[in-house]
Amino acid sequence: MVNAPGTPRTRGFNCANCGGAVELRALAHTRSVTCTTCGSLLDPRDPNVVILQEAARRESITPTIPLGTRGTWHGQPYEVIGFQRRSITVDGTQYSWDEYVLFNPFRGFRYLTDYQGHWNDVRTIRELPVVDTRSNRPTATHDNRKYTHFQHAQATTDFVIGEFPWRVTLGDQVVTDDFVEPPYMLSSEGTEQERTWSLGTYTPGETIWKAFGLPGAPPEPVGVFANQPNPYKKGANAGCTAFFVLFGLLVALFLLRMITADRERVFSSSYTYQPGAPEASFVTAPFTLSDDGTISIEIDANVSNNWLGFDVALINIGTGTAYNTDKELEFYFGTEGGESWTEGSRSGSMFLPSVPAGEYYLRVEPEGPAGIATGYTLRVVRDVPSKLPYAIALVCLLFLPFLTGWRSGWFEQKRQAESDYGSSSSDDDDDDED
Amino acid sequence: MRLAILMLLGLTVLGTARTADVRGWMGRSNTVRNVPRSVRDNPGAYRALYAGNPRYFGGK
Repeated sequence: MVNAPGTPRTRGFNCANCGGAVELRALAHTRSVTCTTCGSLLDPRDPNVVILQEAARRESITPTIPLGTRGTWHGQPYEVIGFQRRSITVDGTQYSWDEYVLFNPFRGFRYLTDYQGHWNDVRTIRELPVVDTRSNRPTATHDNRKYTHFQHAQATTDFVIGEFPWRVTLGDQVVTDDFVEPPYMLSSEGTEQERTWSLGTYTPGETIWKAFGLPGAPPEPVGVFANQPNPYKKGANAGCTAFFVLFGLLVALFLLRMITADRERVFSSSYTYQPGAPEASFVTAPFTLSDDGTISIEIDANVSNNWLGFDVALINIGTGTAYNTDKELEFYFGTEGGESWTEGSRSGSMFLPSVPAGEYYLRVEPEGPAGIATGYTLRVVRDVPSKLPYAIALVCLLFLPFLTGWRSGWFEQKRQAESDYGSSSSDDDDDDED
Repeated sequence: MRLAILMLLGLTVLGTARTADVRGWMGRSNTVRNVPRSVRDNPGAYRALYAGNPRYFGGK
C-alpha cells in the first residue's frame, strides 16, 4: 500500500518492557520514543529496542496539543509526534515550558514551544551564528540580524512522550543561551563543547490553534516573554517621529516670527518723577499704531536703592478704549562682607495683547518714595514677539513621545526583568545553573 | 494613521502657539471702554484701578 503524499507512513514494534504496540511516525529519524502503554522510553534504532528509561519515574502530563494532531504549518502538513516539558531554575524558582515535535516526512522536523501562553515556532539552523562576548551583554549575529543575550541557564528534561529525533531521557541537562531580537529568538543548547542552534519566531497562540484545528481558544499569555513583539513600539516610534518633525516646525515658526516681527517703536520720551507734586499723573503726546499687533511698553528708570511704580493706560483716542497695566521697578545694591550685591532691575516692560490700529496716547501715573526725584524713559513698541507661547508649545510637544513611549518602556522593562540583566535577576549567572 | 493623528494634534498646538504670539494672549491688561476725552485734559480724574484689582506698591 502506498500512502498519499503528505500522509506519514508508520512502522511499529513491540515495547521491550510491556510488549505493547509502539507506532513510529518519523521512522528512521526517530532516536527515542515512548511506549503509549507503559510509558517506557525506547530506542527504536536498536535491533533489540533497548529500554532507555522505564516508566516508573514519569509523571503524567497531558499536552495542550495532543500527539497525533495534524495541521497545516507554513503551508505544509505537519503532525505532532513528540512532547517534552523542560525547566530551568533561577534564584530558586523553577520555570517550565513545553516543547512539541512537529514532523513532515518531506520537510523534516519543526518545533513549537509554549511558556505560559507564549508560543514560538522553532527550527534548527545549520549556519553557526557569530557570538560576540566582548561587551557585558554578549550578542549573536545570524543572517544579518543581531541578537542580544537574554538568559543563560541549565535546562532539565522533566517529561517526555512520543517520538524524538534525538536520544532523550528524563533528567537530561543541557546548558542553554537565549539571544533575542523580537519577534525572533536565537537559542543554543548543549554542552560547552557541542552546541545546537535554533531560531524561534514568536507566534500568537491563535495562529497555532487555527493551523492545527484545536478546539476553543489558546490560553491567555501571562506576562511579557523574551521575544514577544512590543505592541506599543509602533506608537512610541510614531510619537518620536511626530515630535521631531513638529519640533523642527516649531523652531522654524519661532525663527520666522523673530525675523518678521515689526518691532516698530511708535513712541519714546523721557520724564522725571517729582515726589510731592500736586498731580503725578500725566498724558503723553498722541502716537499712531499703524497696524494691529502686540504692544510692549518699556521703561528704563534711574532707580538707585529705591523703587518706582507705574500705572499705565494705553488709550485709543477714537474709541475711548483703555488698556490698563502696571509695573514696578526697584533696584538695590550695596556691599556685604566685602562683596558687592545688587537686586532688582532698572528696566522693565509691560506686554499688552494685540491692540487694534489707531491713534493712542498713554496716561501715566508714577509713584515712588518721598524725597527722591527719579528720571525715566517710556517707549512703546508695536508687534513684539513673545517666546512664552513657543515654550509652552514645546512642553506640549514633549508630551507626545512621553505619552506614546511610556507604555513601550514599561513593556521593555518587564521583558528585561525576566533576563539575566534585569533588576530582579541575580548578577551571578551561576545561580541560574543551580 | 497614528502618526497622522499625532501630527494633527501637534500642528494644532503649533497653530495655537502662533496665534497666541500674534494676538498677544500672554499679555496682561484690564480693558476699560468709553474713557472720556476729558482725561487728556485732566489725567488725575482717570482711575485705572477701577478697571481691575487695586495694586500695591511695596518697595523697601
